[in-house]
Amino acid sequence: MEKEILVLDGGAKSDALTHQVGETLVRLAKGRGFSPTLLRLDELDIAPCLGCFSCWIKTPGLCVIDDAGRDVARRIVQSDVVVFLSPVVFGGYSPELKKALDRAIPLLSPFFRRIKGEVHHVKRYTHYPRLVGLGILSGHDEVEEELFEALIRRNAINLHAPKVSVGLLSARDDEETRDRRIEWVLAEGLS
Amino acid sequence: MTEHVLLLVGSPKGPDRSQSGRLGRIVTDDLEQRGWSSKTIHLHEAVQTREGTDDLLQAVDRADIVLFAAPLYVDSLPAPAIRALQRIAEDRAAQPSTKVPRFVSIMNCGFVEPAQNDTCQRILQQFAQKACFEWIGGISLGSGGRVTRRIRQAFGLLSEAVHEEILVPEAVETMTRKPLLPSRIYVIGGNLMWKRIARKNEVLGRIRTAPYRRP
Repeated sequence: MEKEILVLDGGAKSDALTHQVGETLVRLAKGRGFSPTLLRLDELDIAPCLGCFSCWIKTPGLCVIDDAGRDVARRIVQSDVVVFLSPVVFGGYSPELKKALDRAIPLLSPFFRRIKGEVHHVKRYTHYPRLVGLGILSGHDEVEEELFEALIRRNAINLHAPKVSVGLLSARDDEETRDRRIEWVLAEGLS
Repeated sequence: MTEHVLLLVGSPKGPDRSQSGRLGRIVTDDLEQRGWSSKTIHLHEAVQTREGTDDLLQAVDRADIVLFAAPLYVDSLPAPAIRALQRIAEDRAAQPSTKVPRFVSIMNCGFVEPAQNDTCQRILQQFAQKACFEWIGGISLGSGGRVTRRIRQAFGLLSEAVHEEILVPEAVETMTRKPLLPSRIYVIGGNLMWKRIARKNEVLGRIRTAPYRRP
């Protein structure tokens, strides 16, 4: 069976570069024999998380908001690899990507356990996807690069990802450099 | 002249129903007693409309200090709070001002370790720098932002630092940094709480349901 790759494109409507990177990811993943799905989150109707915890204690595993946020959560947990593609915003994710991730907490159980000495939520599923973080910076910024990597590594712990890899691109890179880096991060994530 | 504090609440539950709002109000109430004026904005509401966003940007322009209070969502801020910070940074870049308001953050998370807010605090610090605020410090709380006597004392020191226009003292971090409970106890207590609520909601038997299991 072909491995499923989900690319969550967190670019805003006007962010042509992020969308272009998303399409490159899909092309390269297909070339490696994978089955990719690209979701442009700016085009999906995803309401913000209400912080109500109903997905844990009223409708277990299911968000009470019936919109595209549910479908994204389902696709995340049913994929083999999920790519968080986002412009780097103060070292973190764009609101477009984050609104989808905030709605993914039904994928976890409310119960706690200790993982490497820290408290985290227990798995709801036996399978969770690998994570690949691909951040796009407007220019070279060591602090934001380091923060973006730290963030996705934290996410990997909380989302029980069996593997995590991170890549960073700059809007100032030429196309060839950019494609080479995308290829590299994809290879890391899929290997 | 009366100094002005702007409280930005980044919880979907808003200023009155969220722990973030309650924590922020501990500081704004204290400052009001010292003669400050205050305004509170719910970021989720503000970013929904043009008018709300304009009101937010104008309020930031008027503030001597911005107090940001939010819950930790997936190791970072809730999406509408990120959107609001983006708008503020864009606005301040477009209309550079000589005024550099101070910025202080209060983050709370549902885990016992306050340190789980660290990455998010650094994101906020980065925002403050990019948007031309003077970062004076951040408070990180675990255990859902529960306020104990020690935490209340730390908030007293925070208010004093804001009023005296100094950096948040290291003692505040020392007082808030330590988890309120050993993690083993927190796990046991937290799990009992979830079970109790699920039983009350008559869903305990299916609390581990996995509706999106792969076919």
